[in-house]
Amino acid sequence: MTDGTMHRVRRVPVAPLLWCALALGACGDGDRTPSASDATGADAYAGFCDQVRPTVDAFIADADARSPAPADPRYGGTVVVGAIADILGGMGALHATDFVANQHHMFVNLMTLVRYDESYEPAPWLAESWEIAPDSSSITFHLRDDVYWHDGERTDAYDVAFTYARATDPETQYPNPAFFDYYGSGEGAVEIPDSFTVRIAMQPHAEPMDVWRTFAIMPEHLLGDVPGPDLRTHPFANECPVGNGPFVAVEHRPQESWTFRANPAFPAALGGRPFVDRYVYRVIPDQSTLLTELLTGAVHLYVQARADQASAIEQSEATRLRVAQGREFVFVGWNTRRPQLADPRVRRALAMAIDRAAIVENLTHGHARPAEASVPPFHFAFDETAGEAVRHDPDAARALLAAAGWEDRDGDGVRENAEGVPLALTLSYNAGNQTRADISQVMQAQLAEVGVALTPESVGYAALMPRVLDPESRDFDAFFLNWAHEFRVDDSDLFHSERLEGPYQFTGIQDPELDRLIDTLRVITDREQAAGTWRSYQRRIAELQPFMFLYFPERLSGLRAGLQGVEIDTRGEWVSIGRWYLEPEARQ
Amino acid sequence: MTRHALGRLFWAGVLALGIATLVFAVLHLAPGDPAHLMTTPGMRAETVAALRARFGFDDPLPVQYGRWLAALARGDLGMSLQQGRPVAAVLGAALPHTLLLSGLALVVAFGGGIVLGVVQAVRHRGLLDRGLGALSLVFYSMPAFWLALMLVLVFAYGADVWGWPIRFPAAGARAVDADLMGPWERVLDRAWHLVLPVTALALVLMAGISRHVRASVLEVMHEDYVRTARAKGLPERAVVVRHALRNGLMPVITLAGLYLPLLFSGAVLVEEIFAYPGMGRVFVAAIGTRDFPVILASALLFSGLVLLGNLVADLLYAVADPRVRHGRSAP
Repeated sequence: MTDGTMHRVRRVPVAPLLWCALALGACGDGDRTPSASDATGADAYAGFCDQVRPTVDAFIADADARSPAPADPRYGGTVVVGAIADILGGMGALHATDFVANQHHMFVNLMTLVRYDESYEPAPWLAESWEIAPDSSSITFHLRDDVYWHDGERTDAYDVAFTYARATDPETQYPNPAFFDYYGSGEGAVEIPDSFTVRIAMQPHAEPMDVWRTFAIMPEHLLGDVPGPDLRTHPFANECPVGNGPFVAVEHRPQESWTFRANPAFPAALGGRPFVDRYVYRVIPDQSTLLTELLTGAVHLYVQARADQASAIEQSEATRLRVAQGREFVFVGWNTRRPQLADPRVRRALAMAIDRAAIVENLTHGHARPAEASVPPFHFAFDETAGEAVRHDPDAARALLAAAGWEDRDGDGVRENAEGVPLALTLSYNAGNQTRADISQVMQAQLAEVGVALTPESVGYAALMPRVLDPESRDFDAFFLNWAHEFRVDDSDLFHSERLEGPYQFTGIQDPELDRLIDTLRVITDREQAAGTWRSYQRRIAELQPFMFLYFPERLSGLRAGLQGVEIDTRGEWVSIGRWYLEPEARQ
Repeated sequence: MTRHALGRLFWAGVLALGIATLVFAVLHLAPGDPAHLMTTPGMRAETVAALRARFGFDDPLPVQYGRWLAALARGDLGMSLQQGRPVAAVLGAALPHTLLLSGLALVVAFGGGIVLGVVQAVRHRGLLDRGLGALSLVFYSMPAFWLALMLVLVFAYGADVWGWPIRFPAAGARAVDADLMGPWERVLDRAWHLVLPVTALALVLMAGISRHVRASVLEVMHEDYVRTARAKGLPERAVVVRHALRNGLMPVITLAGLYLPLLFSGAVLVEEIFAYPGMGRVFVAAIGTRDFPVILASALLFSGLVLLGNLVADLLYAVADPRVRHGRSAP
């Protein structure tokens, strides 16, 4: 009911307000400097970006004027890469752990001392040469003298020494301290004979160059006074990185994009100025949308496409699918502390009961390779016959379980041991991973046929990790996980008994023979000499089955047909970014 | 009324803090902590322990809560564990995007919903009323995220495949070379990128609003004062717009307060699908990585905005209806 009062209708000027909102949204460029302090004193670095940006702009503008893009049709354009997540840790090479971040350190904005070529052999990069002392007590790098930070300072041995010192300082909380297990630390570990020579103390060990492939050098003149713990939150990482690589960071819009531009001062001997003018890394979390952007040309390269999207990419005339062997393997880890899983015969029987080849073919759309051990196919000593003894054979699995004392004593279809403990296990996997959910169900059915009761359990990733990682409270029978290797394979953290109290000795396996093999493989420097030991190691792992190895997944990428020069392999997706170029019709 | 509004504002702040406290408790009681998500295979146990100590994960819960409250009192929302930047910067970058998206969606939803509802009421039981009614039921039943995917399929992918002259971007808040555009070009570019996400949010809301408006206007169209207005010889348009509409829109003001939280929650999925860099994506990413400071600040912000929205709705109701202003009961 109303009181009958008539009122003038008040008009709200919606349209002007709308345009103002859009204008404000368009003009606002997000936050560029920290606005809150924290325990680490981020306020202290509030002016860092305002200081460095003009210097970078001036140096690059000058280099552009001195070395303009050649008159080659390959030069020009903006290449856009789409991925589902932001570059975690940004260009903070001393804290970022993500594989995508790592590739941007190695190939895009920063530089490492060496890089691997197509044969995965070390090749010059920031270091134009190196030598290892005859007794392997040190490694000496001779740096190029024509590499400049993007603010014009020359990259030299002091930058290498600074980055190394920070990485080996526990205060920094460098995520991969194991990289330097065989290198010196502290006073005297690093010598600088001259500005472009650095010598680092080391002990003999296998594959010594691998760490220098991934270890990106940071600028000492900009970060030398920053305490190690502060590097994680310093604006250098996520707001205004100053690198020395082929691309200069222009802008980072968190959760949205990174924009880089070509570095005109990049040494010609290392490829020179990149062909593309700009490179934009776009964050598109929904993979259906990301596929749409690739198919419609808004994105030129879609990294880590899902296996079920491969056919859509292949069927489109405008796109191509690239498949590369990854460096990770997917496995089921058994908790050998459980009575049901303590006997390796039981673990071997479980592996033999599962048709892993069929799982790979049907549930990964054929984009994976069955795994028998932890050594990946790209490894020089990969032995594809290592797991012959545990190939799919349900009858042999039943016999092995019986021999281990597990029989169905009460006729319920589930085996028990002599004490009446049923062979019933829970397999935990991270919620939201449909592939693992599907594999769990297949495993449940196939293990039921040999008298093992398996119950799949979906658990949130953040809840699953403490149960798996925390040595104080490991609470699982079996879990799904994937593990990524560097090119240097060292499974100490996973299987060595000295790491039992560590977070990654999930399974609790203790085997003196395995320990001996791992210890030997860590220090053999000659590959020919190591090959036999690697074969023994893979067979021992297959025999002990601390993990049921499932597959090595392939990394799938979708490319627009107009994007050329892209090499994608086990080294990564960005390995040849300096040589990517866009055909004129593909330029946005 | 000013005292009343200030009082409501005060209690809204208290309630928002209470909600954030509840979120704090639930977060810390739930399994998993950020330290595990910040570890790598190469980290030693002592490094992980140092990380936990540095961020205070091992402190007793009351100590962590007290520290958080004290920082909040200083206006310090802490540092994002995942992004390594101040939380204020994280939210400050994302919030304008969400407010723009949600604000535009609200304007479109209410504007369109009111117009459609009035048209349906005026054309009661006619073909237009039945047609629009059926259409509103379809969209009302549709989840916003599904509509978002269909819009991408048709107006981004389909438009490209079928060679339509107009194709909307499927993702992002701006073009990749927006920083090279002039100011007005950037405004238009932002507007262009907002078309699909705003449509996804607004259409579903508009359907519900139009149904409410239709029912409400129909009710007041039979009132005595409307009959009086017609009897005075006023044109039908004036009868509807100047007499029926204002009273018919009373429930819509309440709807505005109710729909505000829906927009933020609905926007989470829409932002994910359109890769729109708003609060929804920040919140989802923070939950997945147990980025406690961001989760807590977002909870505080969301609850504050919702409570503020409800307060604004109540105040607008008082402005529109003198009976509420003067303490008499409304119908």
